[in-house]
Amino acid sequence: MKRTYGILLFSLLLSCKPVLEPKPIDILSDDIALNDAEDVPTAEIGLYGAFRGMAAPTVIAGDLTADMAVNNGTFTQYIELGTKQIRASNANVESLWGNVYNTVYSSNIILERLPAISGVPARQKTRTLAVARFLRGYAYFIAAHTFGDVPFVTSTNLAANRNIAKSAKATVLDSVLADYQSALINIVDSSVDGYANKSVVRAAMARFHLYQKNWAQAEQFATQVIDSKKYRLESQFRGVVEKDFSDESIFEMGYSISDDPGTSSTSLNNIFVGRREAIPSNQLLAQLLSTEAGERRATLTFNSAQQQGDDNGLSVAKYGTADADNNNITLFRLAEMYLIRAEARVQQAKLTDAAEDINVLRRRAKAPTVNATNQADMLLVIERERLYELAFEGHRWYDLVRTGRAKAVMSAFSPNWKDAYERWPVPQTEIQRNPALAGAQNPGY
Amino acid sequence: MNIFSRLCLAVFLLVCVASHLQAQQTVSGKVTQIEDGEPLPGVSVSLKGTTTGVITNAAGVYMLDGVPEKAVLVFSFIGKETQEIAVGTRTAINVQLSPTSTELTEVVVTGYTSQQRKDIIGSYAVVSDKQIRETPVVSLDQALQGRAAGVAITQSSGTPGGGIAVRIRGSTSIGASNAPLFIVDGVQVETGGLSQRDFGGQQDNALSLINPNDIESMTIIKDAAAKAVYGARGSNGVVIITTKRGRSGKTVFTADAQRGIADLTRRPTMLNATELLTLQREATVNAKQDADQTGLIPGVTDAVNTNWVDEVLRRGIFQQYNVSASGGSDRTKFYMAGSYLDEEGVQINNRISRLQGTVNLDHRASDKFSLGTNLIVAYTKNERIKGDNFLDGVYSGALKSLPFYAPYSEQGKLLGPNNPGYAGFPNFNPVAQALLPRFEAYTVKILAGLYGEYQFLPDLKLRSKVSMDYNNVTEDQYESSRTAIGGFLPSVGGRGYGVNSTSILSTFINSNILTYTKTIGKHAATALAGVEVLQRTERSSSVTGRLFPSDDFTYINSAGIVDQGGSYLNRSGLFSAFTDVKYSYNDKYLFSASARYDGSSRFGPGRRFGFFPSAGASWRISAEPFMERFTFLDDLRLKASYGVTGNERFGDFQFLSTWASVPYNGTSGTAPSGVGNPNLQWEATSEANVGVETTLWNGRLTFVAEVYRNITNKLLFPELVPLTTGFGSIQGNAGQVSNRGIELSLTTVNIDRAVKWTSSLNVSRNINRVEQLSSKEPQFRGYTTSTGRTHIVQEGSPVGTYWGLDFRGVDPATGDAIYEDVNGDGQINSDDGTVIGNAQPDWFGGITNEVSWRGFTLNAVVQFSYGNQLINFANTALLNSGESLADNQVRAALKRWQKEGDITSVPRYVSGNTYNSLFSSRFVEDGSFVRLKNLTLGYTIKPEWISRFKVSNARIYLTGTNLLTLTRYSGSDPEVNSLDGSTTAQGLDFFTLPQTRKITVGLTIGL
Repeated sequence: MKRTYGILLFSLLLSCKPVLEPKPIDILSDDIALNDAEDVPTAEIGLYGAFRGMAAPTVIAGDLTADMAVNNGTFTQYIELGTKQIRASNANVESLWGNVYNTVYSSNIILERLPAISGVPARQKTRTLAVARFLRGYAYFIAAHTFGDVPFVTSTNLAANRNIAKSAKATVLDSVLADYQSALINIVDSSVDGYANKSVVRAAMARFHLYQKNWAQAEQFATQVIDSKKYRLESQFRGVVEKDFSDESIFEMGYSISDDPGTSSTSLNNIFVGRREAIPSNQLLAQLLSTEAGERRATLTFNSAQQQGDDNGLSVAKYGTADADNNNITLFRLAEMYLIRAEARVQQAKLTDAAEDINVLRRRAKAPTVNATNQADMLLVIERERLYELAFEGHRWYDLVRTGRAKAVMSAFSPNWKDAYERWPVPQTEIQRNPALAGAQNPGY
Repeated sequence: MNIFSRLCLAVFLLVCVASHLQAQQTVSGKVTQIEDGEPLPGVSVSLKGTTTGVITNAAGVYMLDGVPEKAVLVFSFIGKETQEIAVGTRTAINVQLSPTSTELTEVVVTGYTSQQRKDIIGSYAVVSDKQIRETPVVSLDQALQGRAAGVAITQSSGTPGGGIAVRIRGSTSIGASNAPLFIVDGVQVETGGLSQRDFGGQQDNALSLINPNDIESMTIIKDAAAKAVYGARGSNGVVIITTKRGRSGKTVFTADAQRGIADLTRRPTMLNATELLTLQREATVNAKQDADQTGLIPGVTDAVNTNWVDEVLRRGIFQQYNVSASGGSDRTKFYMAGSYLDEEGVQINNRISRLQGTVNLDHRASDKFSLGTNLIVAYTKNERIKGDNFLDGVYSGALKSLPFYAPYSEQGKLLGPNNPGYAGFPNFNPVAQALLPRFEAYTVKILAGLYGEYQFLPDLKLRSKVSMDYNNVTEDQYESSRTAIGGFLPSVGGRGYGVNSTSILSTFINSNILTYTKTIGKHAATALAGVEVLQRTERSSSVTGRLFPSDDFTYINSAGIVDQGGSYLNRSGLFSAFTDVKYSYNDKYLFSASARYDGSSRFGPGRRFGFFPSAGASWRISAEPFMERFTFLDDLRLKASYGVTGNERFGDFQFLSTWASVPYNGTSGTAPSGVGNPNLQWEATSEANVGVETTLWNGRLTFVAEVYRNITNKLLFPELVPLTTGFGSIQGNAGQVSNRGIELSLTTVNIDRAVKWTSSLNVSRNINRVEQLSSKEPQFRGYTTSTGRTHIVQEGSPVGTYWGLDFRGVDPATGDAIYEDVNGDGQINSDDGTVIGNAQPDWFGGITNEVSWRGFTLNAVVQFSYGNQLINFANTALLNSGESLADNQVRAALKRWQKEGDITSVPRYVSGNTYNSLFSSRFVEDGSFVRLKNLTLGYTIKPEWISRFKVSNARIYLTGTNLLTLTRYSGSDPEVNSLDGSTTAQGLDFFTLPQTRKITVGLTIGL
């Protein structure tokens, strides 16, 4: 008897180890996740995965803060954007901010650790580090133009990053340029859909310089992308609306059927087509129905069954249809390069060349072409052209703010508009959790 | 054989020899009960100081061989006074047992051992099967409501088989579980939800798989002296449940049937079509829009007037049938039972049914070795309904849906998306949402144990037990193309949406306990030592399909796209050694000490093991000579205890910094998913308890008062950090929460004649306070509001504190809400949040009264809670001042400000205005209530009337639950918790199905 118990006790002690040290199943411990050459490509893909989270909130910021859409649902975050009663507690604000800093963290951890990992070929290191710098740069570019001054996080140090004050917008933008420039030298010039390459970086630099009003550089980078001949305009505008990775797509965030964001409150298909939390505004409809817009009215669809009360029955078509949802989000495409170059050229008084760039898009849209008139008129033409072409791709609000047109356009759109809305607020949760941000809310919120 | 075994043998031989030296005889007799002279089967008759003994047969007769002359016979039976009789030269000894005059000698299961109530040092509450037997409940924790001091139990909703929050002496934790440990027949069972699927805040309840009728007793362990033996799992208290076991003697059959009806305690009433239309037109005009143009036309819009609440509710039917048999010989005893329960919910198409069987066996193989099993097998089918915070929830949809639409077309067909006349987003037809989807959860629970007990010496025994709690849930779900998910939201379903998932949660536990009991003169001691190993495994998988050819094909085999699925496995374990020593001197001074050494897989290397000691003492003043003159005093004791317990119930692998798979564009990579905390350790609660217990006038009055102070350190909670760190939260392990409180319970026998009236009252006050957080920044929880979240965790405030704008009324001039400008900056914004209430009651408790006369009994349980507030969060939509015209409004909206000079607390309605409906103290209400929880009228039919049918007893009874509620709360029911199971975000009412009122009749027959 006693021996049996002895064996039992002994077996119990033996069983201690598997009981107390089970293996994690679907997560990897930090120290083994990134420690040899094979881990680097998966970490690079993971970085894109983190970065992708920024895309939808950027579209929401760029279009829903402006005059492109009104609210039509129950989510407070869209009611606030639609009626221009934006508060620091808006969930979209937190979503964009969080995805920016998640991208920054994911980039920083690679930038910090990868150089020290032995056994990774130098070429692999250089290429992955370039991707990390480019994606970090883009994240800060969006952050600076959305929020103004923002905390500038450069490490993965938890203690430092939970108590970090804002840095000047200019400082942040300097780092964006430095990241872009470094990435441009080292990034691999691949042409796999959904991944960055040299043309993608150049497209980002074209937009960067446009926003900075460095017209010559904006024109130069846009021209480089256009002249690379890697991309060509879709023959029909409908192709831009309906296709994933269309011929003119330069950088696009891909979603496959198995990693679709579904009903998340920032899934664009869900917001624009499923729940229709945001529907195109009547002002936008009027613009897209103009002859100038041509076929770009395909940006919208109409369903008479949905038209009742305040609901105009319109939906956004760029993020898929009801049956085959497509959440791909285009960050850069060739049409934008033409528009950047046109604007840069107008600012440099090259009006005829600018008109030609615009007419490339007009002809594709089967719309009347424009003639070069004066600089002021041409700028308004470009403003409208950007609206027709890039509606719901996250540009409108950023464009109105950088061209100084926000007040005029938005006040006409909503009586609630105020100048403070030219920047988004710092998320309320950040003010509450980060002692260095106490009292540092953007003015007017 | 080693020295120890030799010693054992020597002692054994000595005992044998010694006993043979004495004169021996056979003693027999009959045991009857004093009240009516009826024979008592199953009475234990033993030789004092030995393990020799027999049990009386069905006729109450016993016979015991080899009784020495000097022996003393001990006659004991549960519920009877134990008698000791010196044998002398007698060979026939008849005994009459009288009922225990007090509860003092009642045996209470106190963890790994049992004790008589009078010897208990720790703090316990006991609920017996008698108290819960006739209550028509699905799960056993429901039956505890209002019964025990210091135990706060809140049913989250009126959904049958739904979630319940049990809190013993307050909330000790912010982030880890606050639920007590439930131990059924020695195994830690699953509590909380088993379902994988979120049903809008409401979970299912794993405890609903155990039939309350099979329960012999529930002991709630409250203080450290009692629960430190549960170590790292003990902080939140322990509920020990023992199931019924057989008694030798005649086989007793019992059958019980209950049937009843249920309805909401109070159905909410919303605005009718005309009232709502008037309001919406007013809101539109106030927003400077043309009401006619937006389609709000009197006589047209309000031509249909649907009362959606009535459309989705019905009178539910409750039925339950139990049969059991118990009995056995003096060597083998059994208890067998089977039951069927079926409850139709008050929401249409909601139903839970349960089949359950129990077999408990005990067998004495030899004088030294006995063994036994316990087995419960339960099968539940739960037809669920989406609730609470769901866009397409049924009850929420019924409250929100506009009365302007109808559920059925003129042809009597359910209206669905794409039908003209269908409300459409954000209103879905709640009737269709209830009737069309299939949300079936099939759960199988097996609770099994096998024990062996070996008596090495009369004083020393080893008990080994292997147990398992196995839960298998299969969820079979289909939402047709005419539902919100399956049809209206194409980004999810397209044409039909099906999910099938299975999960298995199993706990394996082995415990080996050595117990030594010795009485020498006035010294009595019990000591136990044990080792225990526990392993819990979670395994789950699910698959999702959509684009079905038609609604006739509802299984994923037929789906056009099967694009989502997953599988998961997780293990966690505990390895422990523990000891518990009790000593008493002359029944006057009692001491106890216990310690447990626990290793948990939830912590990293070097932090895995923890030590949890406790000590307690008790002084029976009434046994002192100087107290002898107080003859009315049966018992008076002072007791005190101190100890440390832990809480390790939070997520696994939190000590690791982790990377997880991240999908991107059809492939997947890895990205950082969490920052670890390698120094993570359990929460440690140190607890001090002081109490006095007294029993007076032969048990006519029992009074217990206890005060306690618990301090929990090293709080485990997801500490919210700024997103600039890359993550929203890290696993925190710092800070301090305290709970102090007082508990009073009083039991009196008011009248004890032909009419017997007993009362018991329990009152508790618990003061909870977050003493310290790891960082200065408060933590926000609950639903998002303009000032952060609905709840705040901050130093100096209790857990469950509400945060928001301070509503100061409605400006009579403008009709707009006035909020306190907390920071005085001249504007109302996100920085003006302040504390606006709290979910913790000041006082809570229950009063039970029982009156019996001849065969009649009337039993009433009243439950009360005083001083707590509730957030009527549903009113942010249902009294929304026009923010959205898509929701119907509660009747309070009729009191809205309409013209200058109106004095009211409801702001004016302006379409699209969000300022007036900002979350504020306007939505915080007094949640105090007094409730007649249970009222039972029973009649035991006279035995002589039924004996010719061979029926030994029969009883009929009528029970009502939640018959009467007094409250000022404007929502439907004050007992509510939308975020089921949440501690930091408790007290929310967000479209939660209110409690139900149930009236049942029952019949119990014993053969």
